[in-house]
Amino acid sequence: MSDDRLSAGRALLWLFGAALLVFLIAPIIVVVITSFNATPYLAFPPQALSLRWYRNFFQSAHWIDPALLSLRVALVAMAGATVLGSFAAIGLARGRFRGKRGLELFLVSPMVVPIVVMALGLYFLFSPLHLLGTPAALYLGHTVIATPLVMVIVLSGLRSTDPAAELAARSLGANYWRALWHVLIPAIRPAILSAAAFAFLVSFDEVVLAIFLGGPDATTLPKRMWESIRFEIDPTLTAISSLLTLLVLLILGCAELARSLQRRASRG
Amino acid sequence: MTEPRRGGLGLWRRGRRVWRPREGLLVLPALVFYILVYLYPLTRLLAWSFFDPGPTLKFYGALLAEPAYLKALSNTLEISVAATVLSLVLGYPLAYLMATSGARARSLLMALILIPFWTSILVRSFAWIVILGNNGIVNRTLLSLGLVSRPAKLLFDMTGVQIGMVHVLLPFMVFPLYGVMSRIDPNLLRVARSLGAPPRRAFAKVFLPLSLPGVAAGCVLVFLLAIGFYVTPALLGGAGEITLATMIDMMVNTLLNWGFAATLGVVLLAVVGVIFVLFSRLLGLHRLTAVGEEGAR
Repeated sequence: MSDDRLSAGRALLWLFGAALLVFLIAPIIVVVITSFNATPYLAFPPQALSLRWYRNFFQSAHWIDPALLSLRVALVAMAGATVLGSFAAIGLARGRFRGKRGLELFLVSPMVVPIVVMALGLYFLFSPLHLLGTPAALYLGHTVIATPLVMVIVLSGLRSTDPAAELAARSLGANYWRALWHVLIPAIRPAILSAAAFAFLVSFDEVVLAIFLGGPDATTLPKRMWESIRFEIDPTLTAISSLLTLLVLLILGCAELARSLQRRASRG
Repeated sequence: MTEPRRGGLGLWRRGRRVWRPREGLLVLPALVFYILVYLYPLTRLLAWSFFDPGPTLKFYGALLAEPAYLKALSNTLEISVAATVLSLVLGYPLAYLMATSGARARSLLMALILIPFWTSILVRSFAWIVILGNNGIVNRTLLSLGLVSRPAKLLFDMTGVQIGMVHVLLPFMVFPLYGVMSRIDPNLLRVARSLGAPPRRAFAKVFLPLSLPGVAAGCVLVFLLAIGFYVTPALLGGAGEITLATMIDMMVNTLLNWGFAATLGVVLLAVVGVIFVLFSRLLGLHRLTAVGEEGAR
């Protein structure tokens, strides 16, 4: 009797969970399907299928130029955040110094500072330096927001490593940098790679800093999308949305791969 | 040769000149970068809010006197509290389901949460515009079922903002909840049941209290993110849903009132800062960073 009720409750719970997942996933699926529509207005389900909005994205400078700028910014921010964040994570995990907790708090705090406030601060910083409207403003801003994420991911990768391996290397005569480069970093390489991939994604999708700091001259893809959503709703947005979702799937796939590599690596 | 020094940066040891950086020094590049491009600009905001060009409190005075500002503040709080409560009510059962399912179901559920979690917030807001608009699938379904006679207004008002925000914030509630729940020993529930507690009572007396740290972490985190939200209220809200964040944008990009923008920024930053520090003191920073880890699985 009570088992029956338990399984009935369980079924209800699954029903609820399924409905919630539909709520989470369905909007994305609707947009992806709409992107194959042939008509010049948004229609779901599509009346006729075509790839015209994808063609439009790749062929019009209005869209592809911002996409190329986003790619450039994301690559720079990824490189900067991965180097700064990985070293900071190693320093926090292996270093022994006072105020470490406070420092860690400070280094992850950009994750919770409202992005609008950050954008405002950087706006005031870059304005007298004549950096507003240049890609450099976005390189710097995006590196700040991507670094804490890299740090958190690499720190969690470091937790599965054994400091004894570096000590062994050092006792065999390797200096600190050699031990770092040849022992520790290879051990956490999967974590660093997946952190880099997420840093790329965070920068590539970032819109608020792009709006505040980009000006008319440095328009990234999200900024162009933002303008289009607000003022004209171009159906090309649906094609771009699908492509951005595809990017997420690729990166999640890579992260999953990295995770299984990390597991294998730490198992020995 | 100079006298060998001990300690310091650890560059000198036993009289030999050896480069032996302490591991902690690896934090330095990030620290310097943060001070220049993060801490310094935020402290400059403070200066902007207190000077015009001489010292003044007029911006803060205006905050308290101006009804438009108070409206933005109450909107922000209302939206954030509602988003937090909704995320908890919806997220708790989902996290419970994940924590009590087998490994296969668990990773399926996790994947289905991670895909929208990492999808661009612009894409998701745009998706809601497509779905909830007058010609969207929801309104056409309602019309064809005869439930409404003309398209229901689901966008550019509070409904749209709440739907969009819960969609973004739900994973931030589910991850900390799931993190705590998955560490609750299922044997405890079995013991309670074997001692005669009906399932509901076992849940209320054993599982629920043990999951409360996750509830606290999730609620604080979601609230913290919600009060700074900009993209969703700006795209899915109407003129009545002005929040602190959208007001900052208006001050900078339309009204060119930088002093007031900086003041709003300082207020927002102060609220977030206090909650963040209390949160990490009471619950531990790891509960916050766990979201990043969980999200990057």
